[in-house]
Amino acid sequence: MSDIRLVNLTKSYGEGNAVSDVDLAIEEGEFFSLLGPSGCGKSTTLRMIAGFVRPTSGRILIGGDDITALPPERRDIGIVFQNYAIFPHMNVAENIAFGLKLRKLPKAEIARRIEDSLRQVGLSGYETRYQRQLSGGEQQRVALARVLVTEPRILLLDEPLSALDKGLREEMKFWIKDLQKKLKITTIYVTHDQDEALTMSDRIGVMAKSRIVQVGTPQEIYERPKTLFVTSFIGHSNVVDVAVRRVADGMAVVALGGSELASRAGAGLAEGAAAKLVVRPENILIGTALREGDARLPATVVSETYQGAIVRYRLAVGDQEIVAERQNQAHVERFAPGTAVTIGWAPDWSETLLA
Amino acid sequence: MRDEPAVSWPMRAVAILALVILLLPVVIVVLAGLNAGEYLTFPPKGLSLRWVIAFLSSPTFMGAYLYSFVLALVATLISTVLGTLAAVYLSRSRSRAAAILRGFFMLPVVLPGVVLGLALYVFYVTTDIGLARSFPGLLIGHVLVTFPFVIATVTASMVGFDLSLEEAARSLGASPLTAFMKITLRLIAPGISAGAIFAFIVSFGQFETTLFLTVPNHEPLPMAMYISLRYKFEPTAAAAGIFAIALVALSTVVSARLVSLRRVFRA
Ligand SMILES: Nc1ncnc2c1ncn2[C@@H]1O[C@H](COP(=O)(O)OP(=O)(O)OP(=O)(O)O)[C@@H](O)[C@H]1O
Ligand SMILES: [Mg+2]
Repeated sequence: MSDIRLVNLTKSYGEGNAVSDVDLAIEEGEFFSLLGPSGCGKSTTLRMIAGFVRPTSGRILIGGDDITALPPERRDIGIVFQNYAIFPHMNVAENIAFGLKLRKLPKAEIARRIEDSLRQVGLSGYETRYQRQLSGGEQQRVALARVLVTEPRILLLDEPLSALDKGLREEMKFWIKDLQKKLKITTIYVTHDQDEALTMSDRIGVMAKSRIVQVGTPQEIYERPKTLFVTSFIGHSNVVDVAVRRVADGMAVVALGGSELASRAGAGLAEGAAAKLVVRPENILIGTALREGDARLPATVVSETYQGAIVRYRLAVGDQEIVAERQNQAHVERFAPGTAVTIGWAPDWSETLLA
Repeated sequence: MRDEPAVSWPMRAVAILALVILLLPVVIVVLAGLNAGEYLTFPPKGLSLRWVIAFLSSPTFMGAYLYSFVLALVATLISTVLGTLAAVYLSRSRSRAAAILRGFFMLPVVLPGVVLGLALYVFYVTTDIGLARSFPGLLIGHVLVTFPFVIATVTASMVGFDLSLEEAARSLGASPLTAFMKITLRLIAPGISAGAIFAFIVSFGQFETTLFLTVPNHEPLPMAMYISLRYKFEPTAAAAGIFAIALVALSTVVSARLVSLRRVFRA
């Protein structure tokens, strides 16, 4: 078994914590991303799992075994670093053979595995190249091959795409995900890029200021952010001030610009609380696009920006502004600045959170 | 191969001038050693191998030459190992103690050799631990004088060393020692070689500290040359100088070859 349990994992560096009380259960074969802004403690968490950083408190279990006290070389965990860490004095084949030689495998077996793993990462024929003769993407494949050839229980990746240019990043995103799926290896992927996390992960743990603030599938994280931080970190959202009128059955009725609107209610929301209504631009409907049961309110078009695939509207609601994005398709109505319109959204696609 | 960086003409002129000034004493010693006359003079009175042969057939000088060679070799060995370990520790530790230690280790470079020699001599004599005027006592002096050079060169090669290389090795299954030997040590080898060359050259030519620590009747070459010149002003000492220069030059060339050979190997 290679499921991972982090139990109240904490690391403090004198002044304040780098990681606080991280409690996570990652399933066998899962692709789990740690997503968060710079300095939130993602790398420190990963390095504790790899064994390079000793936790101040808490435990790490893999397949039920407590590995908190084991040195890195006895954890059977593979890690790929942001800079790939290809050994510069060894060629590609020697790099890949490094872990195999330490395991004292027979020569023929090592040769066979090097060949297989290079084929797997699409670098057959690269055996005698050195690090400085490889592009960033190739180095990354070598780093992955070097780790995977030893068949570790867990794969850790620390921002492996951040050193690549945009086009290659897109390509490698899917390539890594496919490889992980094929090998069914439990993977923790650290990134500050929401696109990577949303595209590749089975589940995402969003971190902020040394803590995990929300764990969920990409869809849950994107559509049901639990805090304003997650809301603002993942994609773009309208966040507007509202007054809470009633809360019942997980739904809230709030007042905005003289209208009463229904939305999902976040944790701890109560009548009269200061709150923010969160709704994504792509979920805002205008005019005849609105359906039965949608929350509705009057607004004035401030500006219309044509962006090709989408058209972006800035809308005035009372003294606040809301941004709406409409697909630029056949039969979709367009609105000129100054037009008075009715806007709205499905209550289930908006959420009111404590400010 | 990397392209030579462009160097402007004035810079080249200055560099050539500096080189000439630095090499002038070497030229003078070599010519003086090839003197055909009775006394150590410059310019020489004709050229001959007379004094070179005198050096080669002198038991005192040959003995001193060999003694210095062995002393330098052993001192280099010890200070290369100690200096490398110290440099690796110093460049990784962030503690205040490490900063203080670094200064302490480098002290023999700034301390006048005479002061260090005297201090060691007084220490050996007053503690009466059998090191005064003994080979181990002299060796300790030479290690102290040479190992800052190893620390300096190895520290320089550790700058920018990527620790994740060692970590990658660890997570691939290497013990801390294996990771250090197979990764770190291999990558800082040029720095270590450079430090060893420095150590050898410094030890071979060391005079001031040696003055207080020599074993009676076992003078290292610089001492033997000095003593010989005090009694007869013969060019044998200069001939010995030729061989000292040759050894130092040879060790530099050989080591440089070794280091760059490794580079070539990597390419
Ligand atoms: N060795 C250390 N000593 C002191 N503080 C540290 C150390 N390592 C990390 N920190 C601090 O811990 C916090 C978390 O660092 P960490 O590297 O885990 O962040 P991160 O989420 O990986 O950020 P990034 O996206 O920039 O890589 C930071 O504030 C950092 O300054
Ligand atoms: Mg990081």
